[in-house]
Amino acid sequence: MSHSTEINSKEAWGGGQSPFRVSYGKMMMWFFLVSDALTFGGLLVSYGFIRHKYADVWPKAENVFTHFPFIEQHLPLAYVGLMTFILIMSSVTMVLAVEAGHRNDKKKVITWMFWTIVGGATFVGSQAWEWFHFIHGTAEGALRHVWDMETGTYVEKVVHGANMTVNEYGVPQFANYFFFITGFHGFHVFSGVCINLIIFLNVLKGTYERRGHYEMIEKVGLYWHFVDLVWVFVFTFFYLL
Amino acid sequence: MSEFHDDYPSYEHMALHSEEEGKTVRRKLWRVFWIMLAITIFELVIGSLAPGQGWSGTTWLKVLFIALTLLKAGYIVIEFMHLGHEVKFFKYVILLPYMIFMSYGIFIILDEGVYSGEPINRTKIDPILIQQQEQLKAGHGHHAPAAGENAAEHHEEAHH
Repeated sequence: MSHSTEINSKEAWGGGQSPFRVSYGKMMMWFFLVSDALTFGGLLVSYGFIRHKYADVWPKAENVFTHFPFIEQHLPLAYVGLMTFILIMSSVTMVLAVEAGHRNDKKKVITWMFWTIVGGATFVGSQAWEWFHFIHGTAEGALRHVWDMETGTYVEKVVHGANMTVNEYGVPQFANYFFFITGFHGFHVFSGVCINLIIFLNVLKGTYERRGHYEMIEKVGLYWHFVDLVWVFVFTFFYLL
Repeated sequence: MSEFHDDYPSYEHMALHSEEEGKTVRRKLWRVFWIMLAITIFELVIGSLAPGQGWSGTTWLKVLFIALTLLKAGYIVIEFMHLGHEVKFFKYVILLPYMIFMSYGIFIILDEGVYSGEPINRTKIDPILIQQQEQLKAGHGHHAPAAGENAAEHHEEAHH
C-alpha cells in the first residue's frame, strides 16, 4: 500500500506533510485510543491487585457464569464464549467494511457496516442478560453476614445474586469490579454502536461517496476494534484466569 | 505553496486500493479471523476441562492464557487496526508509552498485590464466605448451607 512507504526522516519534520504518513483525524483517533487504553489498563491493574490480595477467597468464574439462554443446563462459560465470538465476528465485518471503503465500494460498505451494528447490539444485549442473571443469582442463594439497619448488627441471611455490598458467589469486590469493568466496557460498546449507526446513515446518504474516500469508516473502525481488543483482555482476566 | 498548507498530501486517498489488492487483503483478514476463532475455542476447551484437573489454576495455565490473549491482541492491533502497516515511528509513538505504563502496573500487581494480601493488611472477610470457599475447593460444589446450620459456631466471629 502506498501510505506504508517509509519516508526520509531528515525531511519528514520539515513541514508540509505528516511525518507519520497518516491524516490528522486518524492520528488523533489513535491518540484517543491510547488514553482510553490507559484507563482500561488502570482498571485491570486495580482488579489484578485486589484479586491477588484476596486470592484465597476469590470466586472462580466457571462457578459464577453457568447460564445459557433458553437452556436449563449447567454450562460454565459457554455464553461468554459465544459473546466473545460475536464481538470478534463484528470486528471482522468492520475490517471488511474498511476494506470495501478503500475500494469506494458503497454497497459492500453498507452490508458490512450493517452486520457490525447487528453484532454490537447483540453483544450489548448479551451483556445485559448476563448482568441480569448475576444480579438475580441462583435459587439456593448463599448464607452471608448482612448488616441489619434496625438492630445495628450483622445478621445471618441467605442472599441471592450480587450487588455492591453482598455477593452470593464470593467476596463483594468481585462483583464491584465485574460491574465497573464490564459496565465501562459495555458502555464503550454501546457508544460504539451509536457511532457506527451515525456513520452507517452517512454512508446511506452518500456523504463519503461525494467526499471521494471512506476514511471515516476507518476511524470508527479503529474505535470498534479497540472495544474488541479490550474485551479480549477482560475475557481472559475475568473469565478464564 | 499556500499560506494555509492546503496542499498537504491527501493521506485519505493514498489508502485507496484496487479490486485486485482488495482480494489479497480480504483473504488475509479471513485467515486472521480463523486463527482468532481457533484460539478462542481452544481457550474455552482448556478452561472447561481445567476445573476437574490438577492443573487448574496453575501458573503455567495462567501463562498460557495470557500468552494466547497477547497473541489475539497482537492480531487485532497489527492486522485489524492496520498498525502493522503504519510507519515505524508511528508504531513506537502508540505502543511505547503504553508498554512503559503497563509494565509498571504489572509490577504493582505481582509485587504489592501479593504482600498486601497478608491477613493484617486486609479488611475482615465474612467467615461464612471463607468456609464456603474451602468447601468449594474440597469439591462440595456451590450450594448454600441451610440457614442456622452454622449460625451458632460462627456467631462470635461475625463482624462488629
